[in-house]
Amino acid sequence: MTEEWRLLQTKDNTAAVNMAIDRAVMVSNSNKKVPPTIRFYTWNPPAISIGYFQSLEDEVDLKNCKKLGVDYVRRITGGGAVFHEKELTYSIVISESHPQIPKNIMASYGRICGAVIKGLKNLGINSEYKPINDIIANGKKISGNAQTRKMKTVLQHGTVLLDVDVDKMFSILKVPNEKIKDKLIADVKERVTSINHILRKEICFEDAATAMKKGFEEEFNVKLVQGSLTKEEIKLAAKFEKECFSSKDWNHRR
Amino acid sequence: MQNKSVYKIPNGKLLKISLTYSKKNNTINQIRIMGDFFAYPEEAIEVLENKLKKTMLTKDKLIERINFVIKENNFEFIGLDAEGLAQGILMCLK
Repeated sequence: MTEEWRLLQTKDNTAAVNMAIDRAVMVSNSNKKVPPTIRFYTWNPPAISIGYFQSLEDEVDLKNCKKLGVDYVRRITGGGAVFHEKELTYSIVISESHPQIPKNIMASYGRICGAVIKGLKNLGINSEYKPINDIIANGKKISGNAQTRKMKTVLQHGTVLLDVDVDKMFSILKVPNEKIKDKLIADVKERVTSINHILRKEICFEDAATAMKKGFEEEFNVKLVQGSLTKEEIKLAAKFEKECFSSKDWNHRR
Repeated sequence: MQNKSVYKIPNGKLLKISLTYSKKNNTINQIRIMGDFFAYPEEAIEVLENKLKKTMLTKDKLIERINFVIKENNFEFIGLDAEGLAQGILMCLK
């Protein structure tokens, strides 16, 4: 019988709530309360997430964030700063000992990215995994991914760009050298692409989510069953949101 | 003395170091290791920051100390390595 995993689709949450849900699902799966879980989500308002080891004030122009109504949050995963606006974000939470997950961290990035690559293929886009943590299409980045392992559980989340506004992104992200900012923006425009740009039409979140659902099912040979957060997860997420992801202590800790 | 550096690790990630050091003893007082790399577990970086205090600011001593802490705790870094870290730290002296 095909193994069944849980599918969550939680649109339009704040940055702190999104990161709190990922962490709550991780705890819940680690306690064997829920099956492996795939979540597709969006961010409202748009947000910047920074990697666990980054300095918030070094990376993000907080004044401009406020001016433009852009939220910010520190992730529990490493990696770089990401501007989340027109994208599908996914997360996967699964036991480290699940036979589908390679023990080797880099190999597991490749495996999970394989599901995203199959999802893109379902939309008609050829792409490939580019270590350390990117997926590229036509030689340009279309997806960034980050993984953590805690409590014998793997959490990987990542973006799949539906569209990208590099100018807006750089009005919020700080650059090490203002003098080369224009060149940097031009470089990023050259190096980043999106689903809409490649397909020359607008793909909505729902269509992208359907393609990604199929991609995860194909890669892991499982059936994703639409579900919802448990009462315990909702309670835990509210706690993490308040105590961690919306707190100054957490977001400004580096 | 306090200084900062930004160093792109070859085949790795962008490393940002903030260093307070004793010029007299040529040792680390305090260090912050930042950037878009990955560490497993994430707490590894805070452990390393603590264990690097009082380490001599020479390439060999830094690499030796960093590799010792990695091995002792079974840490895994991705996009970051001992050589790159040592280089980033020493760039704070210039």
